[in-house]
Amino acid sequence: MSDTMHETMNDRTPVIELKHVDKHFGSLHVLKDINLSVQKGEVVVIIGPSGSGKSTLCRTINRLETIDSGEILIEGTKMPQEGKELARLRAQIGMVFQSFNLFAHKTIIDNVILGPMDVLKKSKKEAKEEAMQLLSRVGVDSQANKVPAQLSGGQQQRVAIARALAMHPKAILFDEPTSALDPEMIGEVLDVMTKLAREGMTMLVVTHEMNFARRVASRVIFMDGGSIVEENTPEEFFNHPKSQRAQDFLNSIQAH
Amino acid sequence: MGIKELLSQYGDQYIQALFTTWKLTAFSFAIAFVIGVAVTVMRISPVQPLRVFAEIYIQIFRNIPGASLLMLLVYALPYLDVLLSYFVCVLIAASLIPSAFCSEYLMAGINTIGTGQIEAARSLGLSFMQIIRRVVIPQALRSSVLPLTNLLVSTMLTTALASQVPMNPRDLTGLVAHINTHAVGGVTAFLISALLYCATAVVIGQVGNMIDRKVRILR
Repeated sequence: MSDTMHETMNDRTPVIELKHVDKHFGSLHVLKDINLSVQKGEVVVIIGPSGSGKSTLCRTINRLETIDSGEILIEGTKMPQEGKELARLRAQIGMVFQSFNLFAHKTIIDNVILGPMDVLKKSKKEAKEEAMQLLSRVGVDSQANKVPAQLSGGQQQRVAIARALAMHPKAILFDEPTSALDPEMIGEVLDVMTKLAREGMTMLVVTHEMNFARRVASRVIFMDGGSIVEENTPEEFFNHPKSQRAQDFLNSIQAH
Repeated sequence: MGIKELLSQYGDQYIQALFTTWKLTAFSFAIAFVIGVAVTVMRISPVQPLRVFAEIYIQIFRNIPGASLLMLLVYALPYLDVLLSYFVCVLIAASLIPSAFCSEYLMAGINTIGTGQIEAARSLGLSFMQIIRRVVIPQALRSSVLPLTNLLVSTMLTTALASQVPMNPRDLTGLVAHINTHAVGGVTAFLISALLYCATAVVIGQVGNMIDRKVRILR
């Protein structure tokens, strides 16, 4: 009985929660009173015009950007300012960047095992075995011994996803993961992300890929001018946007 | 004195001087490298006093003439009751100056690493020192092989400072000075040691190129 109670309580604690988060870049108010929670297994997609603060929001969650006020909680634990505790929490939240950011001097497999070995203290053998499984899951296992520069953008981004997965994260943040890719490679990365979402990975995705948002998102968040303007299911958001700003945005991207 | 005469009379001493120069060069470069890496880590550390200290260190040893530094070590330190052998004085001077340049080259190497890679390492939960050890230093080293090769050559040339003090055994330049005060070696005495410096530098350069080709990071 108490187990069930415990489970229920755990289920209600969001994996990621932002409360009244504010941030300025100099005089520019980039995040205005952001409140957002992501539950386990949810795929939350953030869209909005450039400069709306969506990437900044994504980056505050693992504190690659600091915040001025408010708080950010990872499974109910407040994100600390610095130190070991920050590193520990960061290790639980994966991040996939627009520009892949693979370690240029390391082979693909070594990119994937660095975190598990140095942070999770796994043995090299164990880390390698798992890394190979992950690489085959994202379809780049044949490239394991190459260096990043020898791979296409799409392949590099899939390695970056494998690198994030190797940490067994509670959630993965995707900061415009397909924006730096040639059109023919966007699909292969979105496919991997879709598969992850279907397998129940908790994801927060900043993207311009509206079809991905439509098909995969549990919730769509529309940001403009540093605020969350609208938050809804993808069907509701794309078919019946409530705010004028969301309507204008959707019209502008569907115009061509 | 002709080349033949010089060699027959001082040949052994040239060999010994060459080894002394090599020894000074190797030790100085090793020390310079270790200090250079340490100072570089301080320069990029989040601890401000360390950064300030490192910047001051760089400014001093990048800008002080080697001869002045050596004179300070030889003539000023004894006033502080620190008496070092001439060899150690030369070693220190020939280490500290290159160490500042070593750090400058490493910083240039670090600047080629995108901030994105550092952010990726941070988001994996790596600590500052882990990021330095696993991501920053390896890449900085691999992209500064050629400048560090040049630094090794210039460290060797810096060790010619030894000729300014009565060090025993003598280095290559010290030997020339010695020959020219005892006999009329003239330009030829210089020529022989110059050739030995050159030959060493050529070998260093070739090895440096080889290492660079092997470890250069594809981008």
